[in-house]
Amino acid sequence: MIEYRGLVKRFGDRTVLKGLNLRISEGEIVFVLGTSGTGKSVLLKNTVGLLRPDEGEIWIDGREVSRLSEEEYLGVRRICGMVFQHPALFDSLSVYENVAFGLRRHDRLPEELIRQKVAEALALVHLPGVEERRPAQLSYGMQKRVSLARTLALEPKILLFDEPTTALDPITTTAVNNLIQELSRRLRTTSIVVSHDMICALGIADRIVVLDQGNIVAQGTPREIRGSEVPLVQDFLAEVPA
Amino acid sequence: MNHLAHAIDEIGRTTMFFAALLKTMFRRPSRFGDVVDQTWNVTLQSLPTTAMAGFFVGAIMAVQFTMQMRDFGALGYLGGLATSGTLREVGPLLIAFMLSGKVGAYTSAELGTMRVTEQIDAVRCLGADPLQELIVPRFLGIVISSSLLLGAGLLMSVLGGMTLGHLFAHVSPEEYVRHIPTILTWPSILIGFAKCAVFAVVLATICTYRGYSATGGAKGVGRAVVTTAVSTMMCLVVMDWVTSYLAEAVMTLARGP
Repeated sequence: MIEYRGLVKRFGDRTVLKGLNLRISEGEIVFVLGTSGTGKSVLLKNTVGLLRPDEGEIWIDGREVSRLSEEEYLGVRRICGMVFQHPALFDSLSVYENVAFGLRRHDRLPEELIRQKVAEALALVHLPGVEERRPAQLSYGMQKRVSLARTLALEPKILLFDEPTTALDPITTTAVNNLIQELSRRLRTTSIVVSHDMICALGIADRIVVLDQGNIVAQGTPREIRGSEVPLVQDFLAEVPA
Repeated sequence: MNHLAHAIDEIGRTTMFFAALLKTMFRRPSRFGDVVDQTWNVTLQSLPTTAMAGFFVGAIMAVQFTMQMRDFGALGYLGGLATSGTLREVGPLLIAFMLSGKVGAYTSAELGTMRVTEQIDAVRCLGADPLQELIVPRFLGIVISSSLLLGAGLLMSVLGGMTLGHLFAHVSPEEYVRHIPTILTWPSILIGFAKCAVFAVVLATICTYRGYSATGGAKGVGRAVVTTAVSTMMCLVVMDWVTSYLAEAVMTLARGP
């Protein structure tokens, strides 16, 4: 479904991804863990074409996408929804207009169908009835869920989450994590979640990938990761209650 | 040397951004409603300050010219000279400075915040082109509204000049207005509006580029606003010289040998 082959990304003289190879199967939930600056978000941004790799290939649904033009990439973004670290909602638009934004641009659907899809997407994130509110009138956790609804409204086959629980309180963190699991299973999407949260990864992921200095240092099922002897994995596991 | 290389690099990047913006404007026009909204917002935001500034500029010009012209017994031409000077030189520059302080800083901060909070990335992921969706409407809004504001500022400057001319030089409003068409010719009006359009394009390009390319969180947004203010002021002064020189050359050419 998604395959990264020898992915290299440089920023000036700093190489963030150093020939990364990774294959993700359809319907899999993969957590990508690592300390800050190891290239986790860069990996996601390369997937949706916000950044382009300097070397290597990205295959999505059997198609090499890293050399596509900006216009050709629209098709990839249509099936590849990204939920950002910030809610990234448009302040001047209502919740309804925010969620409808992608539907209007990607699909140009009739208004009646857009209304229905917006309501469904908000129901999926357990936020019905907030359509007319502005993002500023919602709590940060609610904004994150609206942002997720905006991505879900397009019914993507692949969901990319960039640190979805950063800056959330523990209760909202649990709610968002449960939502990721519930939606990925129910909608049968392939999900890549970039996170620092090993506890959540062990509970939800089908596979955990640990990145360090732009390379994969460990990967496996939660059970395999628990038994890993890689020092960085050990550091992450030290946070997990016995 | 590093500063010079950096400045040249920035000029190059801004020019490329302007070219991309123009290409988007003609190939994928923005929604008409968005352009109208932006024009309306910019005009409303700056109208009171521009009107007030226009009034006082007219007043200052009237006072300055009065002091010179009284000695020559030519106070009857006060209205024409003050209005012509305002329209050709002070008006466009003043309005561009006003807009750079208000709209330029605001636009740069707004786009910078959208950049660092990933809203611009979200626009791309949701199937839209940020240049078409966000930049072109703001760019056109600033360019169109600056022409409207020049008109409003000029009217207010005539009012200001007339009021001060009456109070300070005892020139009646009728006499003040009577000689405006004598001195204020069509070429002067065209030069004024052309200058205003050039300044507006410079301002709109710089502030949208700075905001759009902001990086580094809140600090980056602050930096974008400051560099917008500094580079806009520098470029406006340089462009004022260039446009004045060109206008003079065109006028000389039109008058013939």
